[in-house]
Amino acid sequence: MSIKRLLLVATVLGLSAGAAAAQDTYKVGILTPNSGTFAKLGQQQTWAYQIAADEINEAGGILGKKIEFVIEDTEANPKVATQKAEKMAQVDKVGLIIGTVSSGVTLATGPLAERHGVNVITSTSWSDAITMDKCSPNVFRVNARASQMANALAQWLGQNFEGKRITYVGPDYEMGRNTVSAFKELAEREGLVSATEIFAPLETPDFSPFFGQIRASQADVLFAPMAGEDSVRFFTQLADFGLNTQYRLTGGSGTITPAELPAIGDAAEGFTFATGYTASLDTPENQEFVAKYKQRSDGQDPTLYAADAYGILYLVKAAAEKSGSLEPAAVREGMADMTWDTPQGPKTMRAGDNQAIMPMYVVQITDGAFEVIDTVDGEIAIGEDLCTRW
Amino acid sequence: MVDLFTYLQFVLAPQMVTGLVIGVAVILMALGLTIIFGLLDVINLAHGAFYALGGFVLITLLGLGLDFWVAMVLVPLLVLPAGLVTERLLIQRVFHSGDRHTLTLLLTFGLSLVMEDLFKIIYGPDPHRPQPPISGAVELLGMYLPTYRVFLIFFGALLIAALSLFLFRSDFGARIRAAAYDRHMAASLGIQVKSVYSWTFALGLAVAALSGVLLSPIYGVYPDMGHGFIFLAFAVVIVGGLGSIKGAVVAGLLLTQVFVLASLVMSPVWADVLVFATMVLVLLFRPQGLFGSLAHG
Repeated sequence: MSIKRLLLVATVLGLSAGAAAAQDTYKVGILTPNSGTFAKLGQQQTWAYQIAADEINEAGGILGKKIEFVIEDTEANPKVATQKAEKMAQVDKVGLIIGTVSSGVTLATGPLAERHGVNVITSTSWSDAITMDKCSPNVFRVNARASQMANALAQWLGQNFEGKRITYVGPDYEMGRNTVSAFKELAEREGLVSATEIFAPLETPDFSPFFGQIRASQADVLFAPMAGEDSVRFFTQLADFGLNTQYRLTGGSGTITPAELPAIGDAAEGFTFATGYTASLDTPENQEFVAKYKQRSDGQDPTLYAADAYGILYLVKAAAEKSGSLEPAAVREGMADMTWDTPQGPKTMRAGDNQAIMPMYVVQITDGAFEVIDTVDGEIAIGEDLCTRW
Repeated sequence: MVDLFTYLQFVLAPQMVTGLVIGVAVILMALGLTIIFGLLDVINLAHGAFYALGGFVLITLLGLGLDFWVAMVLVPLLVLPAGLVTERLLIQRVFHSGDRHTLTLLLTFGLSLVMEDLFKIIYGPDPHRPQPPISGAVELLGMYLPTYRVFLIFFGALLIAALSLFLFRSDFGARIRAAAYDRHMAASLGIQVKSVYSWTFALGLAVAALSGVLLSPIYGVYPDMGHGFIFLAFAVVIVGGLGSIKGAVVAGLLLTQVFVLASLVMSPVWADVLVFATMVLVLLFRPQGLFGSLAHG
């Protein structure tokens, strides 16, 4: 037998083995950053997917099929991500791709998903565009988009600080300016009075030169949608000058996370933001999830990204069971206006723009812990359906 | 009239004092740069990375349970040998080439990229911030100032004075200046020019690392923490005159005051523009900078 023949036989055998496996498994592609700056987010999501898959597989799978993962690294680069997504759709024959983090990557996978008829569900990308002007019938989002978080915070501020003055301090780049101008509109709609807008360059080492303008603005509320190192410097320096206690400090849900909190310490006290999840949520479903996640992650608390990721497979399961098939088109049909339970509370996948409607939590940092002080109804936070593609 | 006084006391004065802290920070960065440039004729783009190295060595030492003040003394001593090795193994290799400026620029730029990635790999992406060794705030003429910042102004001034005393009043300082003025003449008079180069380069980096230690309680420790300062520090070196200590001090104070006062009335983005416009203006009338070179004081 020639080597060629041997190879041929091996290939045929391999293919048939693959085909046999494909019949009793449901292949899901995890397309997530496993290297670089976003690697941690990729890891957190993957843990959550594995917990959900283990639970579902133990209970008999989805329509009798066990979930099987194909994992690829996006390197948080849209170019790499589309190549890997192409491979997942064509070679691995997955029906569903999950795990994309950067909004650029999620947007890039949209046209590809439409071409191959597969579904993409993101649980981490924030850009409004994904479920607004750049929406795709094949792309779904189970996490709150940027405007949901802003709507919820503005709503809460309107109830508690109506008629009070608010000053905005944003990082000076496109995203920062967009965030501030969008939030300013919302805050004014809710009855707050805008005092001053200040934009500081990214990586500003010392924010104290702007404290003069902040003091002079005589505000009651400070909205500072910083992130990462900028957050650490801004809030600690504010506290150094004794300014942290003079304002209600607010910001985005990525401004102070469990990653920044240790470096900011006491200076974060009182900081308030709206988010889709915090590990301290006091519901039995969440406590069970937290316990399982801690086991898997060596004691870390689940993050927003982990919680949102966990719910995806349960949405797919409910949708497939409703329409009786795991074919991507059938799953899409099943997901339309589907309501399902998550550790974050019930979510509904809005059919008009493929965006999940979910309760938003107003969280305040108290004694170094994230404390839920209020809940904003999902219908109020979601905002209008602006997707016009179908 | 009352309003004017309130403005002076609560807005303008604190702003200028704040500017002094940034001024001291930038001058400390610029001093290392200007000494290295004045003597070795090398533009060290890795200066910011060594500033970060100071911060990272500090959090490592603090993690071992050391006191901040002990760590502050240890860090420059630990960075000194790293500087000697860098000069011997990297800078010296391209130092005598005809294309010294380009080669050392590329070399130190590459070094900074490698160092920043190493910090990321070793210390992870999460931000670190050591607690200030002096907490609390003082009230000075009605101004509310963090005590550690007030300490920084005085300690920084002391450090700058000590450095210029060392350069202009000590024996080794005289050797450095002699080598900067004419290295062949210095060598023929028996000065070990090669070792003067290594030690001066290492000294510049040790000063950068010490600045990293002093400033990390305010600015935090992260791999590219040098980026925020390095451009301003370069501007200070250029305006002050390449290689001039006095120039670095005067230009450092001038540019940071321009920056903080401009920040009061305009967007910080434009304040940056104003700082660099000042630099262009100075260069138009005095292309050599405000003061002379290291050799001439």
